[in-house]
Amino acid sequence: MRAVKTNKGLATAGNYALLIVLGLLFALPFLYTLYSSLVTMQDVNHWVGPSKWTLDNYNLFFTNEAYNVPQWLWNTVLMTGIVIAGNLVINPMAGFALAKLDFAGKRWIYWIVVATMMVPYQMILIPVYVNVAKLGWLNSVWGLTIPFLYQSLYIFMLRQFFISIPGEFIEAARLDGLTKMGAFWRIVYPLARSSLITMSILAFSGTWNSYLIPSTFTSDPSKYVLVVGLNSVKDMFFENTPLIMAGVVLATLPILAFFFIFQKQYIEGVSSSGVKG
Amino acid sequence: MFRKARDSDFVVGWLFCLPFLALWAWWFFYPFLQSFVRSFQDANFAQLDAAKFIGLDNYVTILQDKAFYRAVLHSLEIVVIAVPVQTLLGLLMAILVNRKIKGKGLFRTLFFIPYITSTIAVTTVFMMLFKQGTFVTEFFGLFGFRNVTWFADTHYALLFVVILFIFQQVGFSMIVYLSGLQEVPRDLYEAGQIDGASRLAQFRYITVPSLKPITFFIVSVATILGFQIYDQIAAISRYGALGSPAGATSTVVTYFYQNGIRYMNIGYGSAAVVLFFIIIMIITFLQKKLLDDKG
Repeated sequence: MRAVKTNKGLATAGNYALLIVLGLLFALPFLYTLYSSLVTMQDVNHWVGPSKWTLDNYNLFFTNEAYNVPQWLWNTVLMTGIVIAGNLVINPMAGFALAKLDFAGKRWIYWIVVATMMVPYQMILIPVYVNVAKLGWLNSVWGLTIPFLYQSLYIFMLRQFFISIPGEFIEAARLDGLTKMGAFWRIVYPLARSSLITMSILAFSGTWNSYLIPSTFTSDPSKYVLVVGLNSVKDMFFENTPLIMAGVVLATLPILAFFFIFQKQYIEGVSSSGVKG
Repeated sequence: MFRKARDSDFVVGWLFCLPFLALWAWWFFYPFLQSFVRSFQDANFAQLDAAKFIGLDNYVTILQDKAFYRAVLHSLEIVVIAVPVQTLLGLLMAILVNRKIKGKGLFRTLFFIPYITSTIAVTTVFMMLFKQGTFVTEFFGLFGFRNVTWFADTHYALLFVVILFIFQQVGFSMIVYLSGLQEVPRDLYEAGQIDGASRLAQFRYITVPSLKPITFFIVSVATILGFQIYDQIAAISRYGALGSPAGATSTVVTYFYQNGIRYMNIGYGSAAVVLFFIIIMIITFLQKKLLDDKG
């Protein structure tokens, strides 16, 4: 009995040891970033106490015209906001129709949704770029948002959710005199709240962090989103570690704040994509 | 009567799918077809109207280009190293944070955060850490690595990209495995304990088989993402062509991007991306065969 207990104790200790090693490995880049954003160039690769810390690196991003963080932040907010708004309307409508309505052509549309999910975006990047350019949407928020107002993966996810809603809800609404459209917006849509939040969260980080599309569709620094701006600052001032690290903190702070607010739904959303999908 | 027709499943169904279908047709289906059509054309962005049909010439040129095979090889290398490591490490982390211990919430969050952080930001930080003479490169020196700037060294740059990919993706594997672990029926473990199975045997004969569908999901997602890696490579290719240094991190994606977008050679780039698509399809198919059919 005692041996078993010691064994268990050892296992727990081993467990902790492994966790702490891994934890340090993961914490180190973040601590390093935070620390080096607060010191001067001379102090980057060794430790100095808080008395020598400074916010000068951050200040530069708000006072210098060349790297206009408030502008980039606004561009990013606008892009993310429009994309999420579109996804919140277009995806649930299609998902609902595919789950709860019965009409000719439905199977084709379902097949389209599933097939589109499988195609990597690079496959269509060149023609989309050409179309965006032809419309005069390069360096404009439209090129970054209009093609991305829907997402077949989210239509699929929402369809799965709507299937689980009992038909009685819709029938009751119809007895109350609502049309199918009315039943959807007034009854079903509010019921889907948690699924819609999950979708918005996934769409938020996907859009906020996207680099391939914004870096391809924008070349004017005043139209950059945060991530593209950060990359350009890094390229220009690579030797200035503290400045760049302050940029990293500024670019990642909003998404981290968002994560901590919605942590629970976030993690559930990601895990359900694997377990139920 | 009119109202009834307006409220039929047919009308409402198509009306509800219309916004999606309209956007899809213009922003997905049309470009998708165009990628194929352009791949048989000699088309340049500056003179798109002058594009002319040249049959399989683009494909022939690509398939004779040594740089393309090098890019394919790099893509495969990334996937072959990153996917197993990221899957196994994710499983290990999930098991570690699944135990009843103090602080497991903190560890879960810590391991998951890189996944939701911008790849450009993470790459930027790692570039600072993996410069010659930092404590990180000195630490790796203890294991026989040369003390160099990793992303500027032709031997280490690809490994650097792989490390970045694993660092960001492993949290996703962990979270998905973690929720999978909750679904393994408790009585299976109880039955195992009664039969006197060791913890290792329980892991081998209960946990692993129960997690098989999840493993399949994680491996396929990671493989596709591994093939699509772009941000990390774009971030380390500061002044040189994509895939710097000296093509050491070129992949099928950077090969297509460099030719199709940077050089504006739309026909050639489209042919490259069609080949990329075919490679992904073949690998997805093979994976499904290998992982799905066998017990």
